[in-house]
Amino acid sequence: MAKTFHLEIIATDRIFYQGDCEHLVITAIDGLVGIMAGHEPIVTTLPTGELKYMVDGKWNYAAISGGFIQVMPDSSIILADNCELPEEIDIKRAQEARERAQERLRQKQSIKEYYQTQAALNRAMNRLKVSQKHFK
Amino acid sequence: MANIREIRERIDSIKQILKITNAMYLMSSSKLKKARKSLEDTEPYFYKLQTTIDSILEHTPHTRQLYFDRRSGIPEEKRKKGYIVITADKGLCGSYNHNILKFTENELQQAADIDNCSLFVMGQVGRMYFQNRMRSGKKAYVDSEFLYTTQNPTLYRAMEIAQLVLDKFESGELDEVYLIYTDMVTANTQEARKVRLLPFERKHLGKDKDGTLKKLPKASFLPSPEEVMAELIPNYAKGVIYGAMVEAFCCEQQSRMTAMDAATTSAKDMIKDLSLLYNRARQAAITQEITEVCGGAASIGE
Repeated sequence: MAKTFHLEIIATDRIFYQGDCEHLVITAIDGLVGIMAGHEPIVTTLPTGELKYMVDGKWNYAAISGGFIQVMPDSSIILADNCELPEEIDIKRAQEARERAQERLRQKQSIKEYYQTQAALNRAMNRLKVSQKHFK
Repeated sequence: MANIREIRERIDSIKQILKITNAMYLMSSSKLKKARKSLEDTEPYFYKLQTTIDSILEHTPHTRQLYFDRRSGIPEEKRKKGYIVITADKGLCGSYNHNILKFTENELQQAADIDNCSLFVMGQVGRMYFQNRMRSGKKAYVDSEFLYTTQNPTLYRAMEIAQLVLDKFESGELDEVYLIYTDMVTANTQEARKVRLLPFERKHLGKDKDGTLKKLPKASFLPSPEEVMAELIPNYAKGVIYGAMVEAFCCEQQSRMTAMDAATTSAKDMIKDLSLLYNRARQAAITQEITEVCGGAASIGE
């Protein structure tokens, strides 16, 4: 078995995962970052995106929206606004959210509202992407 | 002795109020259950957020990030301070609102210049209180556009509030931002508390117990410390505000439940006392009637 490190993924509404992990792949601001045991300490922020971690040789996937990660050689902590398993995602709700956001983007909005709508659209698209890719 | 009808009317009116307080008690206890659950769900995040941020700061090289800027060039009496105060939307919850308002009032007294203080009040009760206070000529500006409820806290609302104060901090409208809320110490004790949100504090400069500088490995930041901090601190502010909102909401329900429970109990006590009086008055009336009848009969017999 490969060397493991301690991983904690904590969302605002629950502890998503707590335990050992062999390999973690996150979407950082400028691309994918792979983390294994003994990684150098880094801190980075996580935009809305996909996340996968390997436990006992099996990949687990999750959709994550907004947060940050602190990596230490023997442990990593992810603090996120929201984190969901592909099978937990409510496809209908995500679709509705996407349509709502797209609709709103066509309207005239202030810059602040525009960014907020864009972020909402991002979250909805990410949810749909993750659930379509990994949950069939 | 009081009139029988009067006593009966009083008992009836107390019974009506008892129904209301009892209903409010039941409602707040079910809301409390929900609030407790969300508090329990959020607490791990809230605590982890603080310890992680602390440990990240220990590993952070010195940055000239905007949110760390203490603006020490501005003298104490010219500093513009903002307070986010979390109160309830309605009364009838014992001393909950009173405590938090008193605490804020104290804070304002201590501020070097009250004219430079602005309040961002969440919840109807606090907003009314401070707006009335402003109208009666006392200083401390209340932002009347800041309309947020404290019912069922959401992350989205916390984000909006965080965005608002960060914007004001960035544009120089505020130099310091504090958050005042009620903290649940244990299930039965609550305490008003103040937390500094901005500028961001570096409490410990990585000193060991013996006073020597800790040799901490500097973590690397992707893509750069400034950029990470620019994302991380709004995130942190949002997390802290959300956590405070959840705590405060839970406290509010707890105090309302206690207050309504006490009201129900004392209403029951009053009804008990009044029924005793009522029965006594009724008995007296009956006795009097019997005496009159007897007296009448005796006078006929003579």
